[in-house]
Amino acid sequence: MKKKVLIIIPAYNEEENILKTYKTILEYNKKNSQKYDAIVINDCSQDNTSKICRENNIPVIDLVHNLGIGGAVQTGYKYAYNNNYDIAVQFDGDGQHDVDYVKNIIDPIIKEEADMTIGSRFIGNKSVFKSSFARRCGIKIISIVMKLVTGKKIYDTTSGFRAVNKNIIKDFAISYPIEYPEPITTTEILKKKYTIKEIAVSMNEREGGVSSIRTWKKAYYMINITIALLIIGIRRYKKCP
Amino acid sequence: MSINLRLLLLFFALILFLITTYILKKGRIPEKYSILWYFIALVIFLVSVIPNVIIKFSNHLGFEVMSNLIIGIMLVLLTFLTMALTVIISGQKKKITLLIQEISLLKAEIKNEKKEK
Repeated sequence: MKKKVLIIIPAYNEEENILKTYKTILEYNKKNSQKYDAIVINDCSQDNTSKICRENNIPVIDLVHNLGIGGAVQTGYKYAYNNNYDIAVQFDGDGQHDVDYVKNIIDPIIKEEADMTIGSRFIGNKSVFKSSFARRCGIKIISIVMKLVTGKKIYDTTSGFRAVNKNIIKDFAISYPIEYPEPITTTEILKKKYTIKEIAVSMNEREGGVSSIRTWKKAYYMINITIALLIIGIRRYKKCP
Repeated sequence: MSINLRLLLLFFALILFLITTYILKKGRIPEKYSILWYFIALVIFLVSVIPNVIIKFSNHLGFEVMSNLIIGIMLVLLTFLTMALTVIISGQKKKITLLIQEISLLKAEIKNEKKEK
């Protein structure tokens, strides 16, 4: 039986990219038997993101107020949970991620080899674009803290290209961090003894828009994330079903 | 303690009492939050009326000046109050996030149903 797969695309002021991104998914569906549904979560963009979605029949949920990346993505997981999807894929609307790799990252979930997969730039040598030196250092530090807390090594800790199974969709629908969601959820998932697999993918440089992490916030971000992960380390979690 | 300082404290206690009663009367805070402010007003009132107790107490604790003790107590009190407020605000932020998400999901659902008709 084919799995119901939902691609969640959080979008904030992505009028330049959103249509292009959606079209790549449509094109993929034309060529393949495993279809993907997609839902754009428009985080109260000030530009024409919502208008472009409606005019082109792109399924969209317009948040009535700006929530930030965590709140937007969680809305997608809630939608996936309400509509009984088997697999949810988080996918950036800015052209960073490539729809052809969705197959690779959902494959271990379909085969039940993993509960969650992370599209990683740092394993294998598929990805030419590996981000700036400072960013890589940050990701490395987070990776070390995560290893300390969970005993598991994750290389691309901030990757927003991820897929999860039904159990985790439910977990995420119930609770999802508002800020810095990627490293925090990854650590929580590991603490709950779910299995995570990293899959080599290629990512493109952002085609437009502004990254959610601004330069002057980087130090603040690192301090925050370190505290968050260490606290998760001393918290108790129920094991997954 | 000088008579001027005592009068000032008395005045401050009175103002605090009146403000608390006023916002309570207007329904701006629930009763449970007023208890703290009434209690603080009462303490300030007692200090201004019977200062000997607190002077003895501060000497006993080794404060050089009695006012340092008061400022110290205030500082500790305000720190805890701010922490409590942070907890309250964070809880409310969670609730607001939930509301925004649920309303947005409902709105999208309604729009889709209209389209299908």
